[in-house]
Amino acid sequence: MSIELENVTKRYAGQATVDGVTLEVQKGELFVLLGASGSGKSTILRLIAGLIAPDDGVIRLEGKDLTPVPAQERGVGFVFQNYSIFRHMTVGENIEFGLRIRGVKRSARAERRDELLDLVGLGGLGGRYENQMSGGQLQRVALARALAYRPNVLLLDEPFGALDVKIRAQLRQSLKDIQRSLGVTTILVTHDQEEAFELGMRIGVMDRGRLLEVGTPSDLYARPRSLYAAQFLGGGTVLVGQCTRDQVRLGTLTLPIPADVPHEEGDRVRVLIRPEQVSLEGAEPAPQAASLGRGEILENNFSGAVRRLRVRVPPLPGVRQLVPAPAFGEEGVTLEASMPAHLAEPPRQPWVVLESWHILRQPTPRLLVCDEGEGIAPALELARPLVASLDAVATVLGVTSDARRIDAMRAALAERAAAAGLETPSVRVRRGDLVTEIVSEQREGPYDFVVIGAGEVESRRGRREPPRFGEILAGRIRTPLLLARGRPRRIERILICTAVGEPGKSDIRAGGWLARRLGAAVTLLHVVRPGQTPLPMVPLHLERGVATLRELGVSGTHCMRAAESPVEGILGLLRETPHDLVVVGASAGGERITRQVLRQAGCSVLVVPHGSW
Amino acid sequence: MTSPSAPSAPRAAVPVGIVLLVLLPLILMPLSAIFIFAFRGGADDFLRVLTSRDAQFALRFSLLIAFATAAINAVFGTYTAYVLSRYRFRGKQPLGIVVNLPVAIPTVVVGTSLLLLWGPIGLLGRLLAPLGIQPMFAPAGVLLAHLFVTFPYMLGAVKPVLDEIEGTYEEAAYTIGASRWQAFRWVILPALKGGLFSGALLTFAHSLGEFGATVLVSGNLRLRTQTAPLYIFAQFEAGNVAAANAVAAVLATLSFVIFFFLLRYTERRGR
Repeated sequence: MSIELENVTKRYAGQATVDGVTLEVQKGELFVLLGASGSGKSTILRLIAGLIAPDDGVIRLEGKDLTPVPAQERGVGFVFQNYSIFRHMTVGENIEFGLRIRGVKRSARAERRDELLDLVGLGGLGGRYENQMSGGQLQRVALARALAYRPNVLLLDEPFGALDVKIRAQLRQSLKDIQRSLGVTTILVTHDQEEAFELGMRIGVMDRGRLLEVGTPSDLYARPRSLYAAQFLGGGTVLVGQCTRDQVRLGTLTLPIPADVPHEEGDRVRVLIRPEQVSLEGAEPAPQAASLGRGEILENNFSGAVRRLRVRVPPLPGVRQLVPAPAFGEEGVTLEASMPAHLAEPPRQPWVVLESWHILRQPTPRLLVCDEGEGIAPALELARPLVASLDAVATVLGVTSDARRIDAMRAALAERAAAAGLETPSVRVRRGDLVTEIVSEQREGPYDFVVIGAGEVESRRGRREPPRFGEILAGRIRTPLLLARGRPRRIERILICTAVGEPGKSDIRAGGWLARRLGAAVTLLHVVRPGQTPLPMVPLHLERGVATLRELGVSGTHCMRAAESPVEGILGLLRETPHDLVVVGASAGGERITRQVLRQAGCSVLVVPHGSW
Repeated sequence: MTSPSAPSAPRAAVPVGIVLLVLLPLILMPLSAIFIFAFRGGADDFLRVLTSRDAQFALRFSLLIAFATAAINAVFGTYTAYVLSRYRFRGKQPLGIVVNLPVAIPTVVVGTSLLLLWGPIGLLGRLLAPLGIQPMFAPAGVLLAHLFVTFPYMLGAVKPVLDEIEGTYEEAAYTIGASRWQAFRWVILPALKGGLFSGALLTFAHSLGEFGATVLVSGNLRLRTQTAPLYIFAQFEAGNVAAANAVAAVLATLSFVIFFFLLRYTERRGR
């Protein structure tokens, strides 16, 4: 029987545990849902079994909508993680229970029971009780019990979770054999990559309630689309390089980008290198080899059949390392490598050559749009043109301290988002303090920008309160924060302030990226005190900034202004030449500058935390 | 070498002796006094007193009420335990306290409160009186008082067992095809057997000995609402010590038997 899930969502306390999951499992397939704990995979099983009802979406079995069908009539076999074998019944009675409920005659029941006990390799043990059996045996009893009434679908929730490694391997094989021989459509949930590879005909990778990608084990390993799946299945090294002319530059190396990976000039492209794709050689490689130069071995661990290594190569200009996360202050690029253990150990300073690699798909830009649920909605208004020109996905976030308002809040947010012209955003409501929840949400989610309204806020008690972005910035936000102010319009001119010292690289990258997508022009500004000569490197820095923008395909100019303070310089320039967006770094003075610009110039501000871009 | 921290088995005689010395005047001697006084007039006398109409009624009435109380509270107590253990709702904690309150309230207060509610001038009793319904000073009143006083015992015996059964236990039954009732009947109830048994015995024993609330709500009417403890009290007051002692001896023996079973049962489960 095929199972279909269409846009299924399940929320607990306003939080989507399962978030718009669409999936089809074929008849007779053994499908594995893989994800970390809390990713919502077990909830999907419980939804299919009818133990809980979805808040949204449809679940179908062989085309038939299961919504009105109670758990008892779905004909689903469920093996729970703790097995839940009935203690006061013998193993045999446990297996027969489903048949007894269905009024099957005693002799027929006994026949089926013995058949199943043989199938799972427990022949003759039907008279035992739960406390007389081992974990592995109980798991097989649970399986036999779930199969007794010939279910349409078999659901297994971490069936090997409680067992030791050796028994796991045995039971995996026997489960596979049983599933094959019966041909029953099966969904198995696990957090174990090895288990998923060994059992799954197809695997679905889940993260935070979302089904990220689905594919055969070999497909997912060789060609993952998302960073999460790449990391969860197999690991390795992920480097971020810049895209120029359909190639990604990693230092002196250029790797071609396949045509099916959408990319644009200047994009940051993520390159996945699996450990076995890194070759460590004693002799200098041929010039056409994809060499990253000479490295140094940091770690060398023997683990049976393979040897796992970590090797560091000198810094590659313009390359950022994503995975493994670089240690603070560490220079250079660290790569994970592996090699068959029977081969000779590599020299201490080997040449590092990439034998192959995989380019991850560009992630869709994600905006986190925070809305109050009432009053004016500057964040939503600003988000609309951004979503349109960035081709981004917006998540509208509301925060309430009152658990009873969660549903009303969600409805209000959906309505306001629609009114602002945002098409099908996902809506999240968190309970708690506004600032804390915004900071945690951006920390948990893969967001590129956080958009919040920055006008004065009418509180529920009717007081006018200043926006609390200062606290959000102080909360160590890692994502650029877009403070929306005034009537939204097209963003055509962007001012990037390099007010103090050298232009921050993050500000220029983030501002430049936005400018490119929005088709906006950029002004780079540097402010000096009247009568003071700027430091000699300032003009050079500004030139470099403009060059960086040019590389991104953005037209930029730079200017220097004399003013008593950076804020005055910015405001002075804005009076002469209006800009639609001011970009500042989230440095020590950043918050003060931001507050003044918002209040006095009335234009939106993008605050870019250092190193966030 | 023997270490000083592991002395040879301590001699039991002294501490056991002390315990016995304390228990003797506190518990054992009063209990034996009952039997000694009960049989002072000889077995014939004992039987004669016991077979008197009043004593017979009191004993039978007490046993009947105890059976009814145990049966009714087995159902209500189990259901309440099930609700408290399986559902999450607002006010669950206060409810958990309220249902255990009867253990903490003096039984005399329970009797008074019942009178103030159901009595002829009570809040609800006043409405019932014109209909000719009068629960107080009637067997129904005694039953009400006993249900009230013994309610927590069933709950206390069943709820811990229920709490220990994982939620997936029932869910497993549902996915297998069992209805809510079938899951309860075939999966939960058998697991509760021990708790039900000991809870029912405890309730029965407490009902059998209940005095404080009963004396107020029953009106102590002989051959109508007089339970065994009330009979003992009344006979004592009338100076009829032999009659009081005979019934007291029967009550004590019944309690022994009940607790013997209870102890045996819990011991067997404990192993």
